[in-house]
Amino acid sequence: MIASLSGFSLLPSYTVIGLTLGGVYALAATGLVLIYRVSGVLNFAHGAVAMFSTFVAYQISVVAGVPSIIGLAAAVATGAALGFAIEFLTIRPLTGRPPLTKVAVTIAWLLVLQTAAGLIWGSTGYHRPVQLVGSNGFTVPLTNVVVGYDQLTIFLVAVGLSLGTSALLRWTSLGVQMRAVADDPQAARLWGIDVDRVSAASWMIGSGMAAVAGVLITPLLNFDTYSLTVLVIDAFTAALIGRLTNLPLTVVGAILLGLVQYYPKAFFSQAGLSELSTFALAIITLAVVFRPGLATSRGRA
Amino acid sequence: MSGAARSRVGLAVVVAAVALLPALESDFQRGLDSDAVIIALLVLSVVVLTGFVGQISFCQYSFAAIGAFTVGALMDGHGWSFWLALPVGVAAAVLTGVLVGIPALRLSGLLLAVLTIAVALFTDRFLLVTGTWDGFSGGAVPWHPERPSLLGAPLTGSYAYYLFVLAILCAAILVVWNLRTGKTGRVLRAVRDSELAAATVGLDVTAWKLAAFGLSAGLAGLAGALLAVRIGSVSPGSYDFLHSVQLTALATVMGVSTIASAPAAAIGTVFGPELLSGISVSSTWFPLLIGGTLIVQLVLVPEGAVVRTRNDIARLSRLLSARRGRDPAVAGASR
Amino acid sequence: MTALLDIAGVSKRYGGVLALDGVSFRVDRGRIKGLIGPNGAGKTSLFNCVCGVLRVDGGHIRYAGRDLHGLRPHRRARMGIARTFQTLELFRELTVLENLMVPVDARSPRGMLADALRLPRARFEEHRADERARALLHFLGIADVAGVRGGDLPIGIQRRVELGRALALRPTLLLLDEPAAGLDSRETADLAGVLSRIRERFGTTMLLVDHDMSLVMRVCDDIAVLDYGRLIAEGPPERIREDPTVVRAYLGESAA
Repeated sequence: MIASLSGFSLLPSYTVIGLTLGGVYALAATGLVLIYRVSGVLNFAHGAVAMFSTFVAYQISVVAGVPSIIGLAAAVATGAALGFAIEFLTIRPLTGRPPLTKVAVTIAWLLVLQTAAGLIWGSTGYHRPVQLVGSNGFTVPLTNVVVGYDQLTIFLVAVGLSLGTSALLRWTSLGVQMRAVADDPQAARLWGIDVDRVSAASWMIGSGMAAVAGVLITPLLNFDTYSLTVLVIDAFTAALIGRLTNLPLTVVGAILLGLVQYYPKAFFSQAGLSELSTFALAIITLAVVFRPGLATSRGRA
Repeated sequence: MSGAARSRVGLAVVVAAVALLPALESDFQRGLDSDAVIIALLVLSVVVLTGFVGQISFCQYSFAAIGAFTVGALMDGHGWSFWLALPVGVAAAVLTGVLVGIPALRLSGLLLAVLTIAVALFTDRFLLVTGTWDGFSGGAVPWHPERPSLLGAPLTGSYAYYLFVLAILCAAILVVWNLRTGKTGRVLRAVRDSELAAATVGLDVTAWKLAAFGLSAGLAGLAGALLAVRIGSVSPGSYDFLHSVQLTALATVMGVSTIASAPAAAIGTVFGPELLSGISVSSTWFPLLIGGTLIVQLVLVPEGAVVRTRNDIARLSRLLSARRGRDPAVAGASR
Repeated sequence: MTALLDIAGVSKRYGGVLALDGVSFRVDRGRIKGLIGPNGAGKTSLFNCVCGVLRVDGGHIRYAGRDLHGLRPHRRARMGIARTFQTLELFRELTVLENLMVPVDARSPRGMLADALRLPRARFEEHRADERARALLHFLGIADVAGVRGGDLPIGIQRRVELGRALALRPTLLLLDEPAAGLDSRETADLAGVLSRIRERFGTTMLLVDHDMSLVMRVCDDIAVLDYGRLIAEGPPERIREDPTVVRAYLGESAA
């Protein structure tokens, strides 16, 4: 571990990177929390869904040369389809079972998607990331910090979609139904809400968001089947900061996570530092936010 | 011969067969057999934690890594004897398990599962990464622990080592079985049923849960140490998160509530990929099959394959003996 | 005669609601005290405070002269306080016999090691726990269901099992939270008989909460009445029965 005090000069550019990553985490975490609140299931395969959809975009845009915006659309479609498949085929039949059974199912999907992606696209080897926007950038006035247009786009798209989800929940009829189901599924059913349909919608939207997050993050990280699958732990950490319920707080938590992952790197050149930061933040959040007696596990009958 | 005596003889026959048949196999085969035994030990650790206490864990291989790397570092890095390094490795794993168990006391099962994933990834991508703690992880050069000697006889041969780990597995199964049928099993099942009632009848729920975590981690650590010596080299990639996921998945398919799942899952893990290669399917399909099987199992056979098979066999034998008129009292009871 | 249980000015608050408001009474050794009151009067809250599941916000609870403040539930159980639950917290997956062995297990100092190796001491203690449990089952008249899974039994038997589990602790103080809930009149009469036999045989002090007045009047030596978290009357059954404050408190709530 080498510490360096000259790291302070790196902070501005690391802020840019941290914010960009944080934005993507916010997007993934929002999808995760949406699925959890509405359908009661913590989707451990969230990252795997993102990964698989991103590889579909890769196949279409990078391999076949189709414009990346179409690739992105394909990824969203794949994500939504996977989300629907998981909910319809394997969550709905398990209604009434303990929440841990549903967790086990999503873990099974993680294995299936992870392996399938490895078989189709190879689990090692370099894959060129999907580039949505060119990577030239601009300099922030009054500083010498360079912000890439791609970074800015990623941040705006990610945060925009996350906040857009809050808007969806507040102002659309589907959103109102989702909130009703999240609050009390039995009561919602009595009100005539089709709980199954609303749950499926939450899975589709949440997984679609995961897919976008996956595509957005590929220029920033290693693009292989494993790295994106374990993106789920970053999404979890951000979701935990939002207490698994509060969407705006989740976005804040995600951005915080991005910064916490990068700032230490300015001072220490230690491998795996961002993992340490993530882990520390997760532990602290669990200790501070989740205390016995709080309703933390929302299993659904 | 009474039923209990009959099953004991049957068990003895099985153990004898399992011990003696590999004498006819190749070195490579026996290596796989040893791996199967070690994985059975790992599945046993899952049975203790998930089957007894009801907590799901995705970091069992991380506990195994603690055992493996401690043994590797002590033996290869400091010249310790295996017999001294092993208890230290297991103790380190137990301690880690208790540490992980402490937050578990306050968290719901769901959040605990998330925590264990965080632990697994933390171990993979920080603790065991070159540059963090090379004195423990070995850094760029993996540890190479050597096979020990037992009472003068070296365990370097594949058959000798196989018998060694088999003996350890049998002892572990016996211990877990004793615990399960005795006070510990009762207490843990009571805690699982109603923590509130358990506390009001005098059980220190915290202490018991931590003990269960410690025991589970200790078994995993033991397995890790044995694996390290069996392979002869300790590299982080063999103990990563995906391994833990696969382990838990396969254990669940077999059924985590029963000890018999351990050998069943182990055989599946080690020989499944071999079987696939045998029918010309790449063994990389294996995790996908586990995932698919797990999905099917959860939806259709929640108690697990082993328990279901046992129940089916029991029902079948009741039906058969009823039909033969051997036990008329049963005839009316068979469904 | 010093009181075994001394409730002194106990208060408990849930958010804005005052569930218990300065409740004070005592339970003397060897006596059966009733605790009655309309629904929501705070009876179960008081029980939860005594056995340590809830923390009191004000006042003291003294047991055998000792202040229980800060002691966790399992410590209080080991001191001899046992309870049954209104909502039945049986160990459903365990057999009836195992349910009664668990309290003995809790007391036993032997650790996992002795268990794991099946040391003679472990086997002896296991045998003794088994015997004690069976004796209790006989005493309670439910020896025939010893091998049945707790969750598979009818409510009446389940309540009997939970009572047996509490007794297996060899308690000095037994808290009974609506033991007659869900029982018909014959089963309730049986229960009254059992409670008297327990007092006779073991000298156990009891604090009994129930809505079944026939049971309470029959079994209790004296009765305390709670309403809206406050003690409104205390005395022998005949006096309580006639007390106008008590009658009003009960009629005040919907005639259920």
